[in-house]
Amino acid sequence: MTAVALEVVHLGKTFGGLRAVDDVSFAVPNGSLTALIGPNGAGKTTVFNLITNFFRPDTGEARLYGRSLARVVPERIATLGLVRTFQSARIFPGMTTIENALVGAHMNLSAGPLAQMLWLASARREERALVARAEALLELVGLAAHRDAAASELPMGAQKLLEVVRALMARPRLLLLDEPAAGLNDSETAELAALLRAVRSNDITVTIVEHNMSLVMGVADQVVVLDAGKVLASGTAAQMQSDPGVIEAYIGKEAELS
Amino acid sequence: MLEAIQIVIGGLLQGSVFAIIALGFSLVFRVSGAVNLAQGAFCTLGALMTYTLAESFGWPLALAVLGGAAVTAFAGLGIGATVFVPALSRLPVASTLILTTGLLTLLEGLALVIWGSQPYALPAFSGEEPVVLLGVRVATQAFWIAGVAAAIIFCLWYLLMRTAAGKVLRACADDPLAARLMGIDVPKVTLASFVLAAFIGGLGGIVVGPITSLQFDTGRFFTIFGFIAVAIGGLGSFLGAVVGGLLLGVVAQLAAGYVSSLFANSLALGLLLVVLLWRPNGLFAPGQARRTDVREDHRIHPPITRLQGRRAAILGAIAVLVLVVLPSFIDSVSVMSSLVITCILFIALLGLDIAMGYAGQVSLGQAAFMAIGGYAAAILATGYGWSPLAGTLAGMLLSVVCATVLSLFTMRLRGNYLALATLAFGLLVDSFAIGLDITGGPSGLVGIPAFSLGSLVFDTTTKMYYFLIALIVVLLLLLLGGMRSGFGRALQAVRTDQTAANALGINVARYKLIALCISAALASLAGSLYAFYFHFLAPEMVNTPRSFELIAMLILGGEGTLVGPLLGAALLTLLPTLIQPLAAYKTFAAGALLVLAIRYLPGGIFGETVHRLHRLLGPRAPVMPSAEKAAGGRQ
Repeated sequence: MTAVALEVVHLGKTFGGLRAVDDVSFAVPNGSLTALIGPNGAGKTTVFNLITNFFRPDTGEARLYGRSLARVVPERIATLGLVRTFQSARIFPGMTTIENALVGAHMNLSAGPLAQMLWLASARREERALVARAEALLELVGLAAHRDAAASELPMGAQKLLEVVRALMARPRLLLLDEPAAGLNDSETAELAALLRAVRSNDITVTIVEHNMSLVMGVADQVVVLDAGKVLASGTAAQMQSDPGVIEAYIGKEAELS
Repeated sequence: MLEAIQIVIGGLLQGSVFAIIALGFSLVFRVSGAVNLAQGAFCTLGALMTYTLAESFGWPLALAVLGGAAVTAFAGLGIGATVFVPALSRLPVASTLILTTGLLTLLEGLALVIWGSQPYALPAFSGEEPVVLLGVRVATQAFWIAGVAAAIIFCLWYLLMRTAAGKVLRACADDPLAARLMGIDVPKVTLASFVLAAFIGGLGGIVVGPITSLQFDTGRFFTIFGFIAVAIGGLGSFLGAVVGGLLLGVVAQLAAGYVSSLFANSLALGLLLVVLLWRPNGLFAPGQARRTDVREDHRIHPPITRLQGRRAAILGAIAVLVLVVLPSFIDSVSVMSSLVITCILFIALLGLDIAMGYAGQVSLGQAAFMAIGGYAAAILATGYGWSPLAGTLAGMLLSVVCATVLSLFTMRLRGNYLALATLAFGLLVDSFAIGLDITGGPSGLVGIPAFSLGSLVFDTTTKMYYFLIALIVVLLLLLLGGMRSGFGRALQAVRTDQTAANALGINVARYKLIALCISAALASLAGSLYAFYFHFLAPEMVNTPRSFELIAMLILGGEGTLVGPLLGAALLTLLPTLIQPLAAYKTFAAGALLVLAIRYLPGGIFGETVHRLHRLLGPRAPVMPSAEKAAGGRQ
């Protein structure tokens, strides 16, 4: 197995006159949990959107296990093992909690539409196994009681957790989480941290954009700090906490860092 | 040369009317982001009202014209205030489009009840004697049409660009939220623009009245051609509406004059498809196009209530049992026949539910696939000696091919434009069904044999009924199997959030294609069975009004539930049969029930019933957690 899960090389993107992402390079070691932090407008989410080709980068590219993602359409990227979540929880309204979780497993389904329509034993067995796995994950994040509730009626924090569950159902090799803790209360954040640790012990590499510093400091092996579209510094969480440049970029947020 | 000039003048005249209707579309679209398909019905309403005031009440023509336009504006006010504007804030784009098809049907039904089905012609405003200009004979009404069109265009321009009211209107069009923050009453402005559009539409219908024959359903053609004009010009662009209307009028008249009127329709629709492909937003798309794709608003996609597990199995078995014993309690031939029609339409509705209810792809052309299947099977069976089964399968294959081509065309289109393309496709098939020789033209195909499987011939109503019940059970089991698993979930994901679906590796285009193909295949199957059952197939049995009726049945029954549409089909088919005097109100009822269902019964009859059943029987009712309960449940 390659040692690097995700390699971002010289990624750049300009919107109008704004250099939103400026020559950003970093590497995510396989099996690690890397956090992308930085003040508002630093370009964190844009980096995610460039990696997953929701925006076309002007320069540079991202490589997933050595494979360039430059010309891969978003839906193919997921099948290569890279699954992302969104800053605003994009659960599917009109479906129940468990159905939402099950959608995540879509690309791993071996039974095609025809097999499902014919109620083939193999398709039903697969479905039962998926439901069991989804239920286990929902249990882990405390959503089991709301299994059959309309997902759009869940509180915001629960929806964000559900979105992470849905991404995990896809069995990704690399998981990109865009501000999973935004809108979560303290107990929900604790559950998210537990979930992230469980994810890592399952051989899934994680990259996370996050504002919540206590979460980042608690779970991240590597922290990449972005500011004004550039990589300001990178290293372990502890190193970043004492880096003078980082502190300056975060001026006014020192309290949160320490 | 003279002939060409005459044709071009005729085209410009017709184009002026299209432009007037298109302006109404654009006005409402700019402010509300919704396409109002009922726009053409206002034209008919204005013209027919003017006729009644002038001929039956003996009003002077000038007064009758004003009266007709005023009544239309009042109708617009009533509909806008009670239905259209309240619905805008709660419904996704697709549903507002469906709502306005309901309004169109409702107004047509109303006109049928009031004016009957005979054609009317208004008297010309200044005599029937044409004037001769440089050797070209021009009806004096032409000057009225051109004059009114020019006046409307000028007044609208002046209102929008030179007055304070216009500024308010434009503010609402550009950014409703910001306009609201500035203290503008957006719903009121939307209503005002809706009423203005109705007034303009009414006026358009009145001036064209003397040179067109009008009847209760002429509004549909006004809507369709106005819609095509607006789509060519660009939704929301006023210049585009005028240019699109004139262009469409001239092209259609030239084609009709030099080739045939069948070709004129196809050309108009072909023109639309080309423009949609080449410039999906029209020739003059306004600078800031509104998003017509998925809105990120969760309220607008209410959860769909379905029956699941053992309860569904038990109720399903009971329902099948009831359907099997039902014929022994019915001795009326017409009721049995209605039941068979219900079952046949239900097969087409199953397809529509997959495409619309699950995958969220609004199709206004479902009956076109019924036509393809019906005509293909009938022609192969009568003219080429194919067995009914082989003919039916060939029809389904042809439908799937057409659906695939159509979805290649519409791959890049979303929301309103996708619906528009399916409507154009439906109309294209309509005009082929009427215009081609092989389909028997307007009088249809006769002598179609009964459906048979080998030596089993389903030549009586009862035999056909049992065959259909068996077929429906098989189809339902197949579709239920798919919809309760990954297939159904992928379709629903595509319906509500294509971006998120993409991020999970769901190939959105592929699933849309599969949904559309299943939908087309089932409609085609229904169309074939329809032809075999009646031994006869005429264009009006499988044309665009049928598509609208199917949508009404789907929404009324409950979309996204598979079995729900059966209730909608039964209601709209059986009621007029059971209560004969109601037959004249059928169109009106279909429209009114569709509008009411969207407004008050979002889950349809089925959704509402299941909801009540869950409440009655308790335990499996879905839990709607509040924030506190969700937090508590995680301990």
